[in-house]
Amino acid sequence: MRSMGEQSTPLDCPNWMREKRQLVRDEDYDLVSSCVKGDVDAFEALVKKHQKRMLNIAYRMMGDYEEACEIVQDAFVSAHRNLKGFKGKAKFSTWLYRIVINRSKNRLNQLKTQRHREPFSIDDPLLTNDGQIAGEPASNEPSALETLEEKDTRQKVQECIHSLDDEFREVVILRDIQGFTYEEISDLLGIPDGTVKSRLFRAREALKDCLKRAMGAL
Amino acid sequence: MECSDVQEKLSAYVDGMVSSEEKMFIDEHLEACQKCDDSLADLKKTLEYVRDLEEVEPPPWLVKKVMARVRGEAEQRRGIVAWLFYPLHIKLPLEALAAIFIAITTVYVFKAVEPEMKLAKAPLEEVRTPTYSEEKEKAPAIDRGKPEPAEPPEQFMAAEEREVPRVTYRQPAKAPSRVAEREKAMPSAGVVAKDESQPRAVSPELTLARVEGKKEDIRLALTVEEIEAATKELEKAFMDLEGRIIKREQTARRSLIVAELDSRKMDELLEKLKLVGEIEEKALAGEAREGDVEIRIEIYGKP
Repeated sequence: MRSMGEQSTPLDCPNWMREKRQLVRDEDYDLVSSCVKGDVDAFEALVKKHQKRMLNIAYRMMGDYEEACEIVQDAFVSAHRNLKGFKGKAKFSTWLYRIVINRSKNRLNQLKTQRHREPFSIDDPLLTNDGQIAGEPASNEPSALETLEEKDTRQKVQECIHSLDDEFREVVILRDIQGFTYEEISDLLGIPDGTVKSRLFRAREALKDCLKRAMGAL
Repeated sequence: MECSDVQEKLSAYVDGMVSSEEKMFIDEHLEACQKCDDSLADLKKTLEYVRDLEEVEPPPWLVKKVMARVRGEAEQRRGIVAWLFYPLHIKLPLEALAAIFIAITTVYVFKAVEPEMKLAKAPLEEVRTPTYSEEKEKAPAIDRGKPEPAEPPEQFMAAEEREVPRVTYRQPAKAPSRVAEREKAMPSAGVVAKDESQPRAVSPELTLARVEGKKEDIRLALTVEEIEAATKELEKAFMDLEGRIIKREQTARRSLIVAELDSRKMDELLEKLKLVGEIEEKALAGEAREGDVEIRIEIYGKP
């Protein structure tokens, strides 16, 4: 489990001070400042640092490795293009992850629309009863020790995650896979903490039911 | 606390996101309620499955691809910025400033040159239009009642058109004629304007020389038997007439004398030149001028 580990800001601090502290606390602050001044190498360092987490978010959202790679590329290019618009109110990583989440959601909507318009193809990802994508997740070079049972379980878990509604899927990915705190998820998705809590409850319930159906018993 | 309330809070409970009071109630309830305890176990197992999902690794080409696109865009942007704003870094392109500067300069120069262009154009038209018959009718009307100065008006003729190569230079007019008035208004055009009363063919070269106002006011060519002797005689003639020789050049085939002379003594000079050789006028621009005129005489030997 990973956490961004952001410390809470004293409530009696004025806003500007809180923002300033947050800027100083952002470990990417120096690199981002260099990028804004036109240092492309600094941006490369940021890409190397955040690419894996961004790819995993996109991959779990999309369920397709190639699509996830495309989304991450676009997200980084978009971030670089709009770097001057980054005011440092949130951490740079939060800003980046928000971009990749939004791009993933947009792409999912595009794919849904395309599926409605295009005739059925044997290459299409499978659809669940809920109309969600249930494509075969790309595996990360499965080891020889990995049993078929484990692989099957992972596939079912992935399918169940994909069967969730977008708003539930994203909270499960951010909290249970990526390990973001409630506060960070609230920042990333722009929703209140209470909503994060209630969505997580409903998402986990739906996931639990799905897994029970898929595996018989947990 | 009811089972439904507890189960609703189990998600936050496993994350430690419930208050200590809520936690105490839930703990008590779970000890007593098997159903809720099973729900908690299922939830924990579900989360275990999800958290066991392995991470994917980014492909090695991802950073390269991203950076290629980023560098491409950055260079393109830098190129556009450089093209427009470098090195000023202000929101006003240097090229636009240059264009405005050129436009202003052009307008200024055009305005400064325009009067000269008009003057240059006017005499050429005047030279082209008059015919001999028209001039013959007009000339007396202009001169009637306004006696011209004792000296006849200056004449510009090609040497071969004249029986006598006589060039008369205008003396200061006692009474201002219409031509003289016009001369005051358009000094550079006056020379040709006076030609209106003289229906003679004026060579374009001659007219142009007058309009352009070359450095030498009068240019003459003299064909002589012996260049050296003629040159000496000319020098003597200038000395006699109190002229000032500015330049001398002599080659085997040609000799050149440039001198300044009082315009009133031009007639005397021409008389002396006639004795030396055959005169051919090339350009006369100083006839309207009073005081000293600059004379350029080229002396050629007879073939």
